This record gives sequence, C-alpha cells and structure tokens, in this order.
Amino acid sequence: MTNKKNIKDSEFGLDSRYKSKEEYKSEATALMEARLKRMKNLSKDQIIRAKLMQLKLNMEAFIKQPIYNNRNYFSEFLESYVDTIYSKRSFFAKDISITPAKLSQVINNHREPRDEFIMKLMIHSEKVYENICEFHKKTWYQVYFHEKICDTMSSQEEWRPKIERHVKFSESIEK
Amino acid sequence: MIIVETSIGNRHKVKISLVDSVDYKALNKERYFFDWKEEQNFEVYKLCIVDSSDILGLISLERIPNEWRVHIRLLTVSFENQGKKKIYDNIAGNLIAYAAKIAVADYAELACISLRPKTEIAKHYIDKYNMILTGLTLSIEVPGLLNLINLFDHD
Repeated sequence: MTNKKNIKDSEFGLDSRYKSKEEYKSEATALMEARLKRMKNLSKDQIIRAKLMQLKLNMEAFIKQPIYNNRNYFSEFLESYVDTIYSKRSFFAKDISITPAKLSQVINNHREPRDEFIMKLMIHSEKVYENICEFHKKTWYQVYFHEKICDTMSSQEEWRPKIERHVKFSESIEK
Repeated sequence: MIIVETSIGNRHKVKISLVDSVDYKALNKERYFFDWKEEQNFEVYKLCIVDSSDILGLISLERIPNEWRVHIRLLTVSFENQGKKKIYDNIAGNLIAYAAKIAVADYAELACISLRPKTEIAKHYIDKYNMILTGLTLSIEVPGLLNLINLFDHD
C-alpha cells in the first residue's frame, strides 16, 4: 500500500482545510455574497421543502437517542409541521377533520393526542412528504412513544415512591 | 444509506457515526491517507457496513453557524476503495450526503456544505455532486442539498 497519489482518485485524500485565517476570511466572504444572491431566488416551495426535510431529520435524530429534559418534542414537531405547511392552523385542523380547539390543545400540551389523531397525522404526512423525501410512516408514533419512555424514565423520583407502594411480588423464584 | 459492491452489485446498508477515541489507533496514513489524529478536535465521522467495524471512509467536518454552513475539512475513502478496482462504490457520496443532512438539520433553507479542493480535482465534485464554484470554494445549497440527500439517504 502507498499513499503516494500516483493512482489518482479524487475521493482518496481530499484535503479541504483552509491554509490560513486570511484565506478562510476571503473565501467565506465571497461565498456568502454569492449565496445571498442565490438565496433570494429560492421559491416559497423550495423553502417549505427544506423546512420539512429539516423537521424529518430532527425527528429521526430525536428517536435515535435518549433525551431527558422537560421539552415537549411531539407537540413542538407538530407545531413546526403545521406552521410550515399552513398559513392558519385551522386549515390543518379542517384537513384532518378535527376542531381547531382540539388541535390547539395538543400543540399546547393541554391534551394528549389520541390514537386517531396520530393516525390522521401519519396519513397526512405520507401525502405531504411523498414528493419531498422518504418519510417513514412510523415516525410520528416513534416520536410520541419515545418521548413517553424518556419522560417516564427520567421522572422516576417523582412517580416511583407513590406507585411502588402498590406493587408487590408475592411469588418466589428460585435463584 | 447504501454502498454497492462493484464486482457483483450487492448492496450493503451502512452506518455513519462519530469516530471513537479508540478508533484513531487504526486510522493509519497508508489506508486512510491522512493523520486523522490531527482532526480529533473536529467532528470526524466514519462509515462502516452495518454489523461491521471495518472503517471504509472518513469525513471531518466543521460547523460554521454564523454562515449556516458545514465545511468538509477532510474526506477519504479507504485505500482499497479508490480507483477503478475499488471494492465498494458510493462511500464518499454517502459521507457528503451525511454532511448535507447535518447542514439541513441545523439550518434548513439556509443550509450549505462546502469544500475547498485542489484545482485539479474540483471538476470531479462539480460533475458528480453538482457543486458550485465560488473563488476556490465549492458548495451545495438548497435545493441541490435536498437532491443530494435524496440520492443517498435511503435503504
């Protein structure tokens, strides 16, 4: 084996580091100017697609790791989903045949989403993501239950003493 | 994400994850071109076939939040996966698409990934990944980033 690049391959050993701060600054400035011009030409549809891709990636990242904090991920993702696609939340509520009040309660954590709500959300997302990117039908359910698991595990100090009093193990298992 | 065994066309699922500190011992210059230990202060990701620990490709990234940009510092496929006799195809593509996913996850419609290759290999990245040249820097932005992700991000 040799690392001499007599066998030329553009993907074996790409060094893309800036050689100096000056080079970085000059390149970054030129790139930003060019990008800002191009950004002005982004259509509303392209922006929505990017936001929905971002949402999907963030949901997938959330599912993959245990997160113990007080954030309400399901409702945050739902809020982002609805607000990205619709100019008014009531339009989304109408599209999935629920009242705007119920939607508002779920988004604001005043109501747990029922099974039917998540099923409707799943079907709605399939239609929305059809021409954007792969979006697994399990995703909303995974987010919901992953959050439940994380919340339950992280709040044991609060619920365990009360619940544990009502749990006995009267049988014996030989060691 | 999938790589393809060039000789028989078999497809293998891959996993891209952060390089562990123990991995650096095995990352020699002969197989991975660079001294990757120098990159330990940056985000370095490895690509492996699912259920294998053999590293087939590496990428080092720098997030630049005030520019909504992720810059690819170093990229390599492993020695046996370069050139016409490569064993697996799409290793670099998957790693670049992974950088694109990080950028879009962080910056949505403002996202950008960039690299600054030597002039002689810039054409490869322009032709293969539709990168845009500005000065010496190549970049992909929305909507190109989304196309790149869709090209590689499936099982």
